[in-house]
Amino acid sequence: MTLNRRTFLATGAAATAAMGAPMILNAQPAEYVLGASLPLTGPFATAGQLVAPAFALAQKLFNDEGGIAGTPIKFVTEDSGYVPQNTLANYQRALATEGTALVGYFADSTGAMKLIAPELKGENARLMGSTSFASELANPETHPYQYLSGPTYQDQFDILMQNIKNAGGTKIAIIYSNTEFGRDPLEHGRATAERLGLEIVLEESTKAQGADIPTHVTKLAQSGAEHCILQGYVTGVWPQLIGGARQFGLPVQFHGTFWGMEKLIADRITAEAGPFLAGYQGVMPYRYFYDREDAPRYEQYAALSKVMFAGTPLENYMSTWAIQTMCGLELAMKALRDTAEAGKELTADNVAESLSGIKDWDSGGFFGGPVSMDNNKIGTGRVYEYSPETGLFTPVSDWLST
Amino acid sequence: MGQFIQFAINGLMSGAIYALIAVGIVSVFKATKVVNFAHGYLIMFGAYFYFTFAVIIPGQEWAPAWLASWQPGWMVEMRQGLNMFSPLGAVLDWAANVPRIIFGLIGAVLCNALLGMLIERSLMRPLMGQSVFAMIMVTVGLISILSGAASLIWTADAAFVPHIAPNTPIRFEVFGTMVFLFGADIVNMIIALLIFGGIVAMVKFTKSGVAIRATAEDQSTAYSMGISVPKIFSRAWILASATGAVAGAILATRNGISPSLGLFGFSVLAIVLMGGLDSYVGCFIAAMSVGVLEAMTQWKLGGEWAEIVPYVAVLVVIIFRPHGLMGQKEVERI
Repeated sequence: MTLNRRTFLATGAAATAAMGAPMILNAQPAEYVLGASLPLTGPFATAGQLVAPAFALAQKLFNDEGGIAGTPIKFVTEDSGYVPQNTLANYQRALATEGTALVGYFADSTGAMKLIAPELKGENARLMGSTSFASELANPETHPYQYLSGPTYQDQFDILMQNIKNAGGTKIAIIYSNTEFGRDPLEHGRATAERLGLEIVLEESTKAQGADIPTHVTKLAQSGAEHCILQGYVTGVWPQLIGGARQFGLPVQFHGTFWGMEKLIADRITAEAGPFLAGYQGVMPYRYFYDREDAPRYEQYAALSKVMFAGTPLENYMSTWAIQTMCGLELAMKALRDTAEAGKELTADNVAESLSGIKDWDSGGFFGGPVSMDNNKIGTGRVYEYSPETGLFTPVSDWLST
Repeated sequence: MGQFIQFAINGLMSGAIYALIAVGIVSVFKATKVVNFAHGYLIMFGAYFYFTFAVIIPGQEWAPAWLASWQPGWMVEMRQGLNMFSPLGAVLDWAANVPRIIFGLIGAVLCNALLGMLIERSLMRPLMGQSVFAMIMVTVGLISILSGAASLIWTADAAFVPHIAPNTPIRFEVFGTMVFLFGADIVNMIIALLIFGGIVAMVKFTKSGVAIRATAEDQSTAYSMGISVPKIFSRAWILASATGAVAGAILATRNGISPSLGLFGFSVLAIVLMGGLDSYVGCFIAAMSVGVLEAMTQWKLGGEWAEIVPYVAVLVVIIFRPHGLMGQKEVERI
């Protein structure tokens, strides 16, 4: 074949199209993918299985709204068994499978976030939210692509201690699980207590599961604490500690942080063991799902839940754990949509820049008012109190920011 | 001194539960030479069976009302005006639950015994005569099967069950220090000790016990002496599962129900190694020692150390006595 000008141009165009097509297809995927690892098995399977349906709801809702600049999204969730190495493996597999279509990831623990953080470099970086409120992650310099969908545990301690101080408390005990989750806000808590003039009379570490309740309650009784903050528990230990203290007639006021504030758990304890959680307080970054006045986004969730989860307990109630996940996904979607609308590629750097630029965001009811991302977190929350009679947590403080 | 006694009693109460769990591991090992790694998950099943019979079934519409809550007139009258946390109030609250507690315990023991028999018949017996290592590996595989099955049947939801005994607070003064105890924990300890003592007595003084000991000594000789070794295997698994059901029910009352209950078995495995895999008495001493050590460490050094110190003690014992405190020394003749 002789190569004249015409055949040269035609061959060149064909070759360019053949080589360029995958790149073009890659740059504009038919759908964007957001991966997630959840503890569907293992010690926190209760939480994981309550959170999992939120992804189906989010996918429907976000796609009905047009996905990301018209491109639909898809969530791909996998089980981690609450093992950080499994979450890392899931993330790497999602990267390999989805390539540039993968625009975000949701991890299921502080441990997983810390394990994955060094991997988030160059082409392997993606925006990453999680279930964690670990203080260490709220640092854009060391963790530029990772964010918290609420206040850190340190912030939550600040809010609780300020509330204790306002209530005239002076002596506090801190009981925590001997996990990273439990220890996270300890040092900061000591500094806050000192600043507020609160005396920490007991710091007690327990097993995360199967704690020796009589021993811990004995130490609490001997400490003379008026208030006790419980940190690092999800479904177990904290109810038994409160029950034990009440059995002994200890007048201690108990306080919890986000993971110990789920209504479903409090209701089950009340049904089985009686109303001993009366007066239990704790910090919650979000409104509860039943508090839907002035929360249009919650109303949308409720309408969708009625259809998607009809006949299941999820039809009428979304757990706080699922709400936290939804908030994380809303933040990720906002950052992704803002980036796309600005005409930028959905690279991790661009999306992270959009995320940290979120200011005065009207979340549709998650928080008390417009919120901003500050150091990759939203440092706000308020204190709620549980009533066994109504089965509701109701607010006992204003929205407090740190 | 008063505080020492307080934490020592707390430790003994935990130790008794460890002993009750350990008895299942020792029973299976004694009869079959198999270390049952899945024992914690058998306990978890026992806890879930207790939950099923004490909470789920009584809560059904078709179940009689007295099963869910027994409220005779005299009890309602007595309950009126009493504080929830008053000792009498706590006893009456418990009394209302007695029918479902009994139903729960009987159901849990029977179902778990059946499960143990099923495991032995379908998984262990076909491997008789094969290497013990293969049987141990089967118990490792059983962990995944049991934990997966529990999630399928009961989901991973956390739930709570009624106390086996009234959880009245007990206070008394020792050397000028007020000692606090939970009524339910004391009863749990007594139940655990009675079951433990009963099994030891059975092994020592009954025909079946002699057969178990003979099988533990030498399976082939036991066979040739007319002892039905498969029957002994079966009995050991049933015994381990039935005691595991009681242990599971007790653990569930202390910690609530969740799939993580299965992990408890692993920490008790270390205690069994410390006591000697084939010695009930050794395991009892080890369980009580670890319970007390844990409580003392919690008291003096805090929780960060409480999970380490007792197991360092376990390691030290195993280094100096590889067969455990009272385990039988095996002599391999070549």
